[in-house]
Amino acid sequence: MKRSSVSIARNRLRALVTSDRVNCDPAAYEEICRELYGALSKYMELTEDNFQVEINRTQVIITFLGEET
Amino acid sequence: MGEVIVITSGKGGVGKTTTAANIGAGLSKLDKKVVVIDTDLGLRNLDVVMGLENLIVYNLVDVIEGTCRLKQALIRDKRYENLYLLPSAQTRDKTAISPGQMKKLTSELREEFDYILLDCPAGIEQGFQNAIAGADRAIVVTTPEVSAIRDADRIIGLLENQQIKKIELIINRIRMDMVRRGDMMSVDDVTEILSVPLIGALPDDEKVVIGTNQGEPVIGLGGEAASAYLNICKRILGLEVPFLDLNTGNGFFSRLSSLFKKD
Repeated sequence: MKRSSVSIARNRLRALVTSDRVNCDPAAYEEICRELYGALSKYMELTEDNFQVEINRTQVIITFLGEET
Repeated sequence: MGEVIVITSGKGGVGKTTTAANIGAGLSKLDKKVVVIDTDLGLRNLDVVMGLENLIVYNLVDVIEGTCRLKQALIRDKRYENLYLLPSAQTRDKTAISPGQMKKLTSELREEFDYILLDCPAGIEQGFQNAIAGADRAIVVTTPEVSAIRDADRIIGLLENQQIKKIELIINRIRMDMVRRGDMMSVDDVTEILSVPLIGALPDDEKVVIGTNQGEPVIGLGGEAASAYLNICKRILGLEVPFLDLNTGNGFFSRLSSLFKKD
């Protein structure tokens, strides 16, 4: 199935906007996510599916879903 | 005391000038006294979009340098009561005025006008710094394209650094047929990425081009873009106006367009 061009645009934009906001290389966002995941998973149980990092203009927000019931 | 609103975008060609002209005309239709100022020195455009290019005697730089009085440079738009234009200078560049001088000018204009709209040049250099210097509020115009949204995001960051508290977004030239087939970002996609409140979403309406050809703001021609601009003006006044649905393709526009679709 052809991937919609919107989903490509969204992903490219997220990477661009994030790197513009923190003034770093677009690839650095992936790296930041990986390192934060590595650091936090030493202390808490995380899976890659429920862990998310968002960088906006004034905050770095780490979101994870708690223990499933 | 009037409110100073800068209309900006970062990227060129997304519709800042058209937006300035139409919001100016719309606010004057809503009985407000409005002046629109073209701050793009060297690339004068707003006068042409408004169809007032033959009436220019003095310009923004003349006012700032004291060559003429403010009142002499203001052009009254005969079609709209209480709408005035302060044109830019075609033969000068952005260094002819400073942010401090713009601030002084806008504070003078506040005494007499309800709204002072500043049509900002593209880019983030001195022309941009001049335009935002005296602003209380900013309207950022973008289109649903990667480059325009990226630039809008940078502009929003710079506006926040300038302590401009009220920053709102206009998404221009939305094509619902493309949104529906997954080839254009929707209003929700764009607002989610930029995370500033939306004040208007405009469909891609050919009447805008026709209006520009004629030197007539589209708000005077009727149609989809005209009503969307009028809604933006009402929201600027603080009125609650529901948004036309430009996301799912189940809204008014799609129903309207499906009526005319030739299958």
